[in-house]
Amino acid sequence: MIKATFSSIKKFGLFLIMLLLLTSLTLTGCQQEKVLKIGYITEQTGVDAYVGPASIPALKDHVDKINAEGGIGGYKLELIVYDTRSEVTDAVAVTKRLIDQDKVVAIIGPSWSAAGIPIADIADAAKIPIVATTASNVNVTVSESGQLHPYMFRVCFIDPYQGYAQADFAYNKLGIRKAALLTDVASPYTVGLHQFFKDHFTELGGEIVAEEGYNQGDTEFRAQLAKIKESGAELLVMSAYTYKDVGLAAQQAEALGLKIRFMSGDGVFVPELLEMAGPQLEGAIVTTGVSENAPEFAEFNAAFEAKHGVKANVYTYYGLDALMAIEYAIREAVKKGEPTPTAIRDALETMKDVQLFTSKVTMDPATHNPLNKPLLINTIQNSQWVLLETFQPK
Amino acid sequence: MELFIQQLVSGVSIGAIYALLAVGYALVYSVYNFTNWAFDAFMAFGAFMAFVGISSLFMPFWLAMILSILLTILLSVGAESMAYRPLRERKAPRLFMMISAMGVNLAVVNIINLIFGGTFRKFPVESVQPIFVGNVSIGRMDLIAGLISFGVLALLWLFLYRTRWGLGIRASAIDIQTAALMGINNNAVAIIIFVITGVLSAIAGVFYGIKYAVYPMMGIVTIKAMIASIVGGLGSLPAAIVGSMLLGVLETLVSGYISSSYRDLFSFLFLIVILLFFPNGLMGKNVDEKL
Repeated sequence: MIKATFSSIKKFGLFLIMLLLLTSLTLTGCQQEKVLKIGYITEQTGVDAYVGPASIPALKDHVDKINAEGGIGGYKLELIVYDTRSEVTDAVAVTKRLIDQDKVVAIIGPSWSAAGIPIADIADAAKIPIVATTASNVNVTVSESGQLHPYMFRVCFIDPYQGYAQADFAYNKLGIRKAALLTDVASPYTVGLHQFFKDHFTELGGEIVAEEGYNQGDTEFRAQLAKIKESGAELLVMSAYTYKDVGLAAQQAEALGLKIRFMSGDGVFVPELLEMAGPQLEGAIVTTGVSENAPEFAEFNAAFEAKHGVKANVYTYYGLDALMAIEYAIREAVKKGEPTPTAIRDALETMKDVQLFTSKVTMDPATHNPLNKPLLINTIQNSQWVLLETFQPK
Repeated sequence: MELFIQQLVSGVSIGAIYALLAVGYALVYSVYNFTNWAFDAFMAFGAFMAFVGISSLFMPFWLAMILSILLTILLSVGAESMAYRPLRERKAPRLFMMISAMGVNLAVVNIINLIFGGTFRKFPVESVQPIFVGNVSIGRMDLIAGLISFGVLALLWLFLYRTRWGLGIRASAIDIQTAALMGINNNAVAIIIFVITGVLSAIAGVFYGIKYAVYPMMGIVTIKAMIASIVGGLGSLPAAIVGSMLLGVLETLVSGYISSSYRDLFSFLFLIVILLFFPNGLMGKNVDEKL
């Protein structure tokens, strides 16, 4: 009996040693093919679970295309995708995992500011460049004390610009003098955008007659809408991050007999909003950096939907923008030597008139924001997005 | 005054949905002393099944509702027999049942997410114009949802207080072991309770879906129902209803008159104060007679 146990232990030991040898062989084999890992943190579950499915296939396709063409300077790219569960804590955890375990050279994401702000500190500490997709709060790339986060970038425009343009358009073009704000108080995106709207709108001579709030995940807005109805506002500014909020508020406004024009930011510019509350949002104004209806995307959209069965939306485009910015930076870094995270960061900071998916981008070295992004003013007519005009920064 | 009445109407209509869910919590808690965290998944499941019935199988609303109720009963009883009963039979602590319930919840919500995706869907029913009394609007769907909710709760009351099975459940709520010694079949009681839970969560899910939207995370609202049943007095049916109405009205009044941004802060502060003075909830009883 004892003998038998010993022999089986021996066998097991031998098996272990073989296994160890085998794995070390394969590992050294792997090391010979040079691979650069790029992380992508996105929302596959949780309240914003619609962001990931529309962007992951596009990013994977693009990485496959680069690899099929032989990679970059002998390096193959590998995309590692993690789910943030739409929670800041998880977004932080997966960012750390990408840096510490996966040893990525750059990270794409996140898509929302509340996660972008804590992640900026992680990027700086680990010296790994991160390119946020649609996180538009000022403090994602520049801290509240005005200090630039050297490793944090973004490919979308920032809230002040969008809020400023919205106020300008509402006051000068729509002739609105009384506006109400319905703010997601826990979202830096919404709070920031509304603050800049309010500042510029009152500066122009308009009046904010109601300032109401709600919390992320809320589905009931009738109490706030009833107050807005009493205030006599002509415009309801609700730049929510999630289209659900605006869709529900529009349905409930109709139920309360409140006829008011909605105005929102790029966070809700997705086709699903029209399915949810198209008729209720007739005439609403939504500002964005890109539009799915732009003719230049028609071909891409059709091919994407046919291949993946998902409609492309802004998160697809901005995700590709971020990936292409990193691709450009890796190419530049390879030209100068090794594509280290720091070399990639340096190339991102100095990019000038680089063609990305949506537009040509020049990075502002002082703020790490793209400099010349146009702002599109869209409206909803017959439950369809219609582009009204393009607003260019002065 | 109009604003006040409008807020009151909105509050009651929210309270009616909380009530369906709160009663489900109360029922399970009163017999098994654990919180059925999987309730929120059952609710989302019910809403999705009715959604599929109408939009993919082209069923009329009532048929989709029945389909949803039947499938949610299956899920609820399935969870009981696979996730709770084995633990109960091995005399696991109550806390473990709660964790098992959380597991069921996570699994079901994520499977729904995997199959249907995370988008917010409008429930495929014709939206009907609300009734206006003066300037106060009352949603027709809110009225229907309210009537059906209270109808179902009344039926439940009749079942619990006017039938032998109801007596068995109430006996189990007081002391499950003694009830078993008296000849009450514990497993049958468990199945009945989880059938009722399935019915309640499917109805709540469908009406919540119609009122707002259908999405995998919609069950988050059940945390409010949980709080409503605690404030009313955990383990008592009428108390769960009173707690739900109170919470619904309180939330809208706080949003309307104090601060919409900090609604939850004020509402929960108020609830803490209530619990300080009524540690068993407003209508909570001791162990002598629950339900």
